[in-house]
Amino acid sequence: MNTSTVQIILTIIHLLFFIYAFFAIASYIILAIISAIETKQYMKKNSFVNYKEILSSTISPSISIIAPAYNESLNIIENVRSLLSSHYVNYDVIIVNDGSKDDSLEKLIAAYDLVKVNFLINQQIPTKPIRAGVFKSTNPAFEKLTIVDKENGGKADALNMGLNISNNQYVACIDVDCLLLENALQKMVKPFLEVTEEKVIATGGVIRIANSCIIKNGKLLDVNFPKKWIEKAQILEYLRAFLLGRMAWSRLNGLLVISGAFGLFDKKIAIEVGGYDTNTVGEDMEIIVRMRRHMEEIKEKYKVAYIPDPLCWTEAPDNYKIFISQRNRWTRGTIETLRKHRKIGFNPKYKSLGMLSYPYWLFFERLAPVIEVIGIIYFAILLALNQVRWDFAIAFIILAYLFTVLFSIVAIYSEELTYHQYKKKGTGFKLLQISVLEPFVLHPFILYAAIRGNMDYYFNKKKKWGEMTRKGMAKAQNN
Amino acid sequence: MIHHQIATMKSYQYIIDYFENSPIIIQVVWALSCILLIAVVILTIYLKKLRSRLRKNEKTVAEYQKEYESDLITYLYAGNEEAEISAEQQVIIDKLRSCATDEFKRRVIVSTLLRLRNEISGEMADAIQKLYFQSGLIIYALKKLKSRRWYVVVKGIRELTQLRVKEVHDKMGVFVNHPKKEIRKEVQLYLVTLFHFDGLKFLDVLQTQLSEWDQIQLLEVLQRFDEQEIPDINPWLKSKNNSVVAFALKLAKIYNQFEVKDALIDLLSHQHKKIRVDTIHVLGHLQVVEAKDILKNNFDILSQDEQIEFFKLLENLCETSDESFLLAHTTNQNFEIKLSALKIIKILAGEKFKSLKYISTDDDYIKIYEFLEYN
Repeated sequence: MNTSTVQIILTIIHLLFFIYAFFAIASYIILAIISAIETKQYMKKNSFVNYKEILSSTISPSISIIAPAYNESLNIIENVRSLLSSHYVNYDVIIVNDGSKDDSLEKLIAAYDLVKVNFLINQQIPTKPIRAGVFKSTNPAFEKLTIVDKENGGKADALNMGLNISNNQYVACIDVDCLLLENALQKMVKPFLEVTEEKVIATGGVIRIANSCIIKNGKLLDVNFPKKWIEKAQILEYLRAFLLGRMAWSRLNGLLVISGAFGLFDKKIAIEVGGYDTNTVGEDMEIIVRMRRHMEEIKEKYKVAYIPDPLCWTEAPDNYKIFISQRNRWTRGTIETLRKHRKIGFNPKYKSLGMLSYPYWLFFERLAPVIEVIGIIYFAILLALNQVRWDFAIAFIILAYLFTVLFSIVAIYSEELTYHQYKKKGTGFKLLQISVLEPFVLHPFILYAAIRGNMDYYFNKKKKWGEMTRKGMAKAQNN
Repeated sequence: MIHHQIATMKSYQYIIDYFENSPIIIQVVWALSCILLIAVVILTIYLKKLRSRLRKNEKTVAEYQKEYESDLITYLYAGNEEAEISAEQQVIIDKLRSCATDEFKRRVIVSTLLRLRNEISGEMADAIQKLYFQSGLIIYALKKLKSRRWYVVVKGIRELTQLRVKEVHDKMGVFVNHPKKEIRKEVQLYLVTLFHFDGLKFLDVLQTQLSEWDQIQLLEVLQRFDEQEIPDINPWLKSKNNSVVAFALKLAKIYNQFEVKDALIDLLSHQHKKIRVDTIHVLGHLQVVEAKDILKNNFDILSQDEQIEFFKLLENLCETSDESFLLAHTTNQNFEIKLSALKIIKILAGEKFKSLKYISTDDDYIKIYEFLEYN
């Protein structure tokens, strides 16, 4: 290869990096603008809604909250109490004890006066068998509660058991340790009920981070900003993702993922598509893609809705080891889902799902960390060869950094103008501070986790879920 | 000092030279960076102001609320039996009238009035409404109805609803088929909240669809009122608007409208499946025996959802003559139908049920049978 050929190849590489970065940034800006428009409209429309009427209505649709639990003994009693405190009328709570090795079941039996009952299950989705049985409370105060004890099969399998057990029209699939606000169900069910021309198949809610918040008896009493950098940075990251990303995808009817921590589904469609896939660690994304694919294939008009209100609060990883394990799993889940449904990618038959959502996720979610690492390696090679054009490098690094900071500040703005959850004096400064530092305290770990996720996906097929050690939100009471 | 100035000028000149001699792309990148930096600084300053303003607003609203609440309570207890308006009341009316010119204060006054209006009843509630007229607040609400912004119109209608202003009924007619669904919904709530079942006349002219959410809200409002004469819902059951039919079906069920059974039976052949399923549900609830034979005879051409709903109806209306029909469906492919059929047979003919134990080797059948055997 002569010098000019090398030169041409290098120019093409540079151009490809440039085009990729340009489109990534352009997509973020476009999504942020669409989000702003959608959020404004949402706030206007919902400022008039009287949720009290649907709250007390006996003709409101029935909802089952399905919460899988695995070794959650530490907080299971408080968590169940929180789930039972919803103000919605027509709902029940199904806790699926997924083969826990701890004393979760014994604690539940004692705390909620449970007795084993004869329960007929319509096994529409195959799952691992029942272990100790199905339990109901003898105390009328807990009549909404059902506990199912089954053999361990993973989160997806436990959710499928919940789908089989539920007799209700809608199912809210949530993490057992999530704290749901009292009006969460009526807000989440609203999109299903207000459409007349199309069908809403699922609604996703915003997940907020509860670390350092004060929680008592399953109720959020005070919102605090945590002290650890990793927690602060995740709050900012969630604000960006939920307020500037998903809101836009909801408007474009292109949402590909509803957080596994809290989502409401049309049970009939969820069962029709076969429930959750037990062979992926990204079951929350996979089921949405499959449901959308199904609706496209049967040619029925549908929508996946999204509610930006802060309705669900959860504990986020407070150390890098758990954080990396979580993000590693998210990466593998994304790869698995995109690979499994590759048929829809760039396929005009699937309309915006195939031509917009899938390509976006492939290029800017799935491939982003890979391309970033290739860029870093390429930069390192240039550095070693003393070929770095520092005038270019410095200018572009500063531009990228400032864009990141600005984007985070816009997310904070969006939060302040809408929900204004972090009201305390001084928190504004802390949010700005973390906007400046987040590229250093969180992003490198996200990148590392994503690369590990890729490697595990291709070279360590046996790896499934990582461990998430619960500190327990209830502990926050003492902070 | 001079040395320092020269050094600054030199570095400034160096930056200018560097910028001018750089490739165009670098110039663009630096220019963009400067813009982003300025944006970051401006937004940072503005964020600080915004947060302070939001905090201050909350405090101010609370202060005004306290003040107006005290004024309103004084107004309510300062009534004079001789004169219609006592001097003390007039002072408060004048104060509110003057404060209402300020939009922010007006918002707080109205929200305080509404809160108070919801907490009290009888003469006191009437007095609040009177004050709403006397202080001129109604004029602002009526102005909102003429706004081109939909959410302002909605606010106006909501305010008039909550303060029970029946006098503007004629102005609401134009909004019944408004293209914006939020306005339609609000006007429907106005009509039903203030005129109860009479307010439902809008259903006669409604051209758009009533969502499930709208229907639930309307029914909730209606259920707050007792001693009402239920209007004839037959015309709504025959409406060309499917959502009106669906709503009328809910009315038929909630208010046990057995007298509309003929219209309900006609709906069994409605072209919309959801309406047919809902109709079977209502017929089952009203225990309309005639429906049973019609559905039984047409069972095979019913959709699965209708079949399932029919079996729920049968749970209330079954007779011994249905036994052979039920037996035929104990091995139905559908789990729910199988369960219903076996359940009814157990109630209807216990001995027959016992003889069915081994008729199928299907797992679901065995599971259902065993479940029913011990329950």
